[in-house]
Amino acid sequence: MSKVVGSPQTRLDIVAKVKGTRKYPQDFNMEGQLWAAVVWAAHPHAIVRRIDTSAAEALPGVVRIITSKDVPVNSYGINIPDQPVLVGEGGKVRWVGDRIAIVVAQDRRTAYKARDLVRVDYEPLPVVSDVFAAMQENAPRIHEDRPSNILHHIPIRKGNVEEGFAQADVIVEGEVSTPFVEHAYMQPEAGIGYIDEEGRVTVIASAQWPHDDLHQIARMLDLPEDKVREIVPAVGGAFGGREDMYIQHLLALCAFVMRRPVKMVWDREESISRTGKRHPFYFRYKVGATREGVLTAVQIRLISDAGAYASTSIPVLNNAASFAAGPYKYPHAHVDAYTVFTNNAVTMAMRGFGATQPPVMYERMLDQLAEALHMDPVELRMKNLLGDGDISITGNAMWGGVGIKETLRQAALAAGWRQEGEHWVKPDLGQPSAPHKKRGIGIACAYKNVGYSFGFDDKSEAEVILRLKMDGSIASATVKTAAVDVGQGVTTALAQIAAETLGIPVSRVRIALIDTSDVPNAGSSSASRHVYITGNAVYGACKAALEKRERILLEESGELNVSARYLYRGRSRRPTTPYDPETGQCNPHIAYSYGTEIALVEVDAETGETEVLKMWAAHDAGRVVNPAQYFGQVAGGVHMGVGYGLTEEYIQQDSRPRTRRFSEYFIPTVLDMPRELVSLAVEVEDPTGPFGAKGLGETPTLPTAAAIANAIHDATGVWLNRIPATSEMVWRAIHGKG
Amino acid sequence: MHTLMMNVNGSDVRVDIYPDETLAEVLRDRLGLIGTKVACGEGECGACTVLIDGVAVTSCITPAMKAHGRRVVTIEGLSEDKELHVIQQAFVDATASQCGYCTPGFIMATKALLDANPNPTRDEIMHGISGNLCRCTGYYQIVDAVALAAKRLAEEEQS
Repeated sequence: MSKVVGSPQTRLDIVAKVKGTRKYPQDFNMEGQLWAAVVWAAHPHAIVRRIDTSAAEALPGVVRIITSKDVPVNSYGINIPDQPVLVGEGGKVRWVGDRIAIVVAQDRRTAYKARDLVRVDYEPLPVVSDVFAAMQENAPRIHEDRPSNILHHIPIRKGNVEEGFAQADVIVEGEVSTPFVEHAYMQPEAGIGYIDEEGRVTVIASAQWPHDDLHQIARMLDLPEDKVREIVPAVGGAFGGREDMYIQHLLALCAFVMRRPVKMVWDREESISRTGKRHPFYFRYKVGATREGVLTAVQIRLISDAGAYASTSIPVLNNAASFAAGPYKYPHAHVDAYTVFTNNAVTMAMRGFGATQPPVMYERMLDQLAEALHMDPVELRMKNLLGDGDISITGNAMWGGVGIKETLRQAALAAGWRQEGEHWVKPDLGQPSAPHKKRGIGIACAYKNVGYSFGFDDKSEAEVILRLKMDGSIASATVKTAAVDVGQGVTTALAQIAAETLGIPVSRVRIALIDTSDVPNAGSSSASRHVYITGNAVYGACKAALEKRERILLEESGELNVSARYLYRGRSRRPTTPYDPETGQCNPHIAYSYGTEIALVEVDAETGETEVLKMWAAHDAGRVVNPAQYFGQVAGGVHMGVGYGLTEEYIQQDSRPRTRRFSEYFIPTVLDMPRELVSLAVEVEDPTGPFGAKGLGETPTLPTAAAIANAIHDATGVWLNRIPATSEMVWRAIHGKG
Repeated sequence: MHTLMMNVNGSDVRVDIYPDETLAEVLRDRLGLIGTKVACGEGECGACTVLIDGVAVTSCITPAMKAHGRRVVTIEGLSEDKELHVIQQAFVDATASQCGYCTPGFIMATKALLDANPNPTRDEIMHGISGNLCRCTGYYQIVDAVALAAKRLAEEEQS
């Protein structure tokens, strides 16, 4: 048996990437292609009175202007089809990412020039930019067919919080808000739509869930799904931002109307200001504990801004509510979670999917308690972290190898904490680099689901084709799955799982290109799920192929091709259930990953600037499939977390974008990262994961901002009520000018 | 239309272009050199980095006519005889690429850095690539790759 899983493996796609030959959607061109440009809504909330395309049509080189009249079924949406594809006369725009028309021209310059000539008359409506205003009874309604702007409410009631607070010796309270965040994948939206040789409407574009796009496009065009096709080439990052369709359906519509190849390449400004974001959250918490440091109760109100359309705001809220208390044992919990429509940017999936925002709040509560109890923050957490079989706030017993305590133990020891029996002692932080600078250290623990939750049937299908040599040994294996490698490295990980299962080297495994007409549905590249769910599907298909091979060899039929398909269903081994509508009690998640991060920071009291000197990141993703990629996932997650904690905010003013380009939206550069990142792999295996693997894509982002915020408090003594902790905000807090 | 004459990756080319075309547009759309990536369109992220007479420029904001009569090297021009360049091999070995969209730009920035400073410290490497953005890796493996490339180039030089 080879030991492929767990050994460093060179990424299968990396040679083409360093040569610059790997093709992304903007790199494809076709004979006779036309170019398209979108006419975007000019108001965040308005009725479209008149659309005048005559001036645009008169421009030489313009071929056609596609409007709502050209769309067979003018609605779409991943969760609820509440978004118009194109808004026509008499229709309403609800945010600046709504679309009025698509200009098709002979070349890109003409298309972009012509779109500015499309005249649209609007009747502006009152704009709702704030969730609290949106929740008022008399607030202007974003969706007239709904009773209010509140899209969804989740209550969780465990035990009796009054009783829990009565048992507490110490009670702390706090409020925190988090910003809109841009995914900022490096590759802007682009692609080609065309009619293929079998008459299918075909799209080449980046995507996270090709088969769901297919489903939505077929519905929009009123076509059977086998008349639609999506090809996903190299994807230049996604982070949740390509789980909804932003360009795929528009390319399909162009091909459907024009019957010719139509290419579209968005610029960065379109990519930032006309696509979805991470949800901002508004938290209010109250937490109680005994003087021994045992948590007794938590009361939580959280509100997320859904923006103009539902997208996945309800599933994100589901997650946020279930993880709202953090990985701790609370005998009594009371949660009210809301997601609310506004005219702001649509909010959607982004790395962590509702589990990324709460740590900033719940980990601050833990540190406030530690301070009130005069207890070390590691010690307080160790007393209360969940273990195997412990009951979460939704009433379920934790399963699958709960590694959170071990991540904290390893991170704390690495960062210099000393363990003395039950007590933990904080390390000496050394001298700051200048007298006006202050050092601090902060801890955060977090956890998240792997796979789809709350009773959703999480499925992935894989096909494996073996070519045998005359002696029956395996010459090569082809794996067909629609698991999209958005950069996270799933293709290589799945090849390793196949190689290990088949007992062959990775060099004999080929992963087929993603084309919905050829590879089966694997679900989305989200929820850190592909290694676990699709890994199980690949494992199952390989096992089935090996069994077939055994039969062939016994029968001596001389057959040299073996193929097998396998559909893995998460519920077959770990059934989940939806929230009880009154109590919120349920068995929410298939599997979990865990992580602890510790940040050592230096805050400049004169400028308010925070420098993260060093970070320790201990993550339990179960068995590590590819150590070479494990570090990259952790470091990339920390990078996104550093930006979340310190610099990144997508700013809107009256629901109009104010941060439209990279020069206005601050992704950390190499100089903004901690000089040193210590990564610790804590491999608590999940027996239901392939070779004991869980998932890794998201957890490294979860604790980072919370650890930094706690470190800033440790350095300065001030609590910030929002992130990002910009220099100005920290300076104001230090100087009492909040 | 203007006539642009330049040397790209060792070959002389002559193309008719609009005077306001950027070098990235000419390389990608007229010459088919798709390895040069456009990500921000304002010279902020470095994905489109190429060399003009050995100097790294962001081709998305460089007027193409600026390359007139000069030598341009793109990612396609780095590997000779299909063998990976030492820098490219170092990026492979250090797992310094994930989605890969920023990778050609980082490699070209590295080429310019190591040509000017063959033996950089870690700080100098970080400053040398600080004009390039990556959303996937957190940069550590990229810095490792640059250091590895510098080490291997120095060894090549000695032997």
